[in-house]
Amino acid sequence: MQPVISLKNIRVAQGENFSLSVDSLALQPQRIYALTGPNGSGKSTLLRVMALLISPQEGSIEFAGSDSNHLARQRQRVTLVEQSPYLFKGSVADNLNYGLKLRGIDSKERNSRIQSTLTIVGLERFEQRQAKELSSGEVQRVALARALVLKPELLLLDEPTANIDSNSMQAYEALLSGLSEYGVTVVFSTHDPSQSRRLGEEVLRIENGHLINGSRRELEESALNERNRVYGA
Amino acid sequence: MGYWGDSLLTAFELILGFDREVRMAVWTSVYTSSCSIVIAALFGVPFGLWLGLKRFRGRQLLIALLNTLMAMPTVVVGLLLFGLLSRQGPLGPLGLFTPLAMIAGQTVLATPIVANLVLAAVTGADRRIINTALTLGASRLQAAIQLLREIRFGVMAAVIAGFGRVIAEVGVAMMLGGNIRNSTRTMTTAIALETSKGEFAFGLALGIILLSVALIVNLFLNVLQQR
Repeated sequence: MQPVISLKNIRVAQGENFSLSVDSLALQPQRIYALTGPNGSGKSTLLRVMALLISPQEGSIEFAGSDSNHLARQRQRVTLVEQSPYLFKGSVADNLNYGLKLRGIDSKERNSRIQSTLTIVGLERFEQRQAKELSSGEVQRVALARALVLKPELLLLDEPTANIDSNSMQAYEALLSGLSEYGVTVVFSTHDPSQSRRLGEEVLRIENGHLINGSRRELEESALNERNRVYGA
Repeated sequence: MGYWGDSLLTAFELILGFDREVRMAVWTSVYTSSCSIVIAALFGVPFGLWLGLKRFRGRQLLIALLNTLMAMPTVVVGLLLFGLLSRQGPLGPLGLFTPLAMIAGQTVLATPIVANLVLAAVTGADRRIINTALTLGASRLQAAIQLLREIRFGVMAAVIAGFGRVIAEVGVAMMLGGNIRNSTRTMTTAIALETSKGEFAFGLALGIILLSVALIVNLFLNVLQQR
């Protein structure tokens, strides 16, 4: 099967001390990838490179069947949800409408998509709620809905459960595990080896800016060792 | 009632009686200031936004220049434009002592204020706005427009502050307008002229109106700054 996105010989230099290096990475359709690695290892940078927010100094990024070099058009195939997502001022519906309007989708289709996506994330009847009134768990779910409503081929989530309480986390994980049913490829970054085991159908590991090759077991062990090193066994 | 009491009474009579001279001065002030602030916003808002978002060599110098222009005395702006619009100047055909000349001067005065305050609003805005818009499929321009929407109260405050500055200024109106009755006489130039002629009550009437305008502008600013 043709990969959703392929990265080849990617090099990103940021300042003198950090660089990201990915020799080869191909993500298969409708899979959930857990991206693990220590703080500052380059997880967020890799996600931003895949979201086309950072242009690498070297290498190539290709989307499946892409016949366009237009950056904004390419960017519409992938969506990134940040660790602390920003919701635009206004209602939940305003936020979900934003990307749909950019894609020229008519209002009937927009309303239908918004309703169904809010149901998926468990926020029915939240359309008219103001963004500033939401809890952090709800903000995360609205941000996820805002990304999902666009039906991206690739959904990138930067530590999506880092800032939410344990109840919201359970609900979010349940949601995340079912996302591939909607035809989307998901990459989520996490510090938590057990979360990557629970949710990740595939595991990616990054250390010191380098994407590590290895079997799933080796990568999970590496993540566990790092956790034990930081927090104690 | 005394000098102040009598003058205040006459001033209110002039205001409430819709005195023609008072009306004309108020109209000229509002008309020229409104035109100039619209033009200043058309230039100043995009410029402030661009300067806030772009990083390039010489940016700090440009910001320092903008700050200097913001603090430029109104008579100096009047003087420079006088040189440009006078018969021997490069823009001579446009002419001096017309509402158009005043609008040009007031636009020069207001543009740095609007640009600087929009720049401050952009600098203070949440840094995630642009990236969020980009990740949802916006182009750079669409993302910048979304940022403007998010900081709309700051932008409105910038425009109102610019309006407050030009409606209350006297240097440009005097030097480029020439204080011609029923044509270029504004509230501020009329106050200066009539008071020097001994018409204190007339000056006071316009002063009260000008203060009221300043009060309304500041109330608006306060409301916007709290949002």
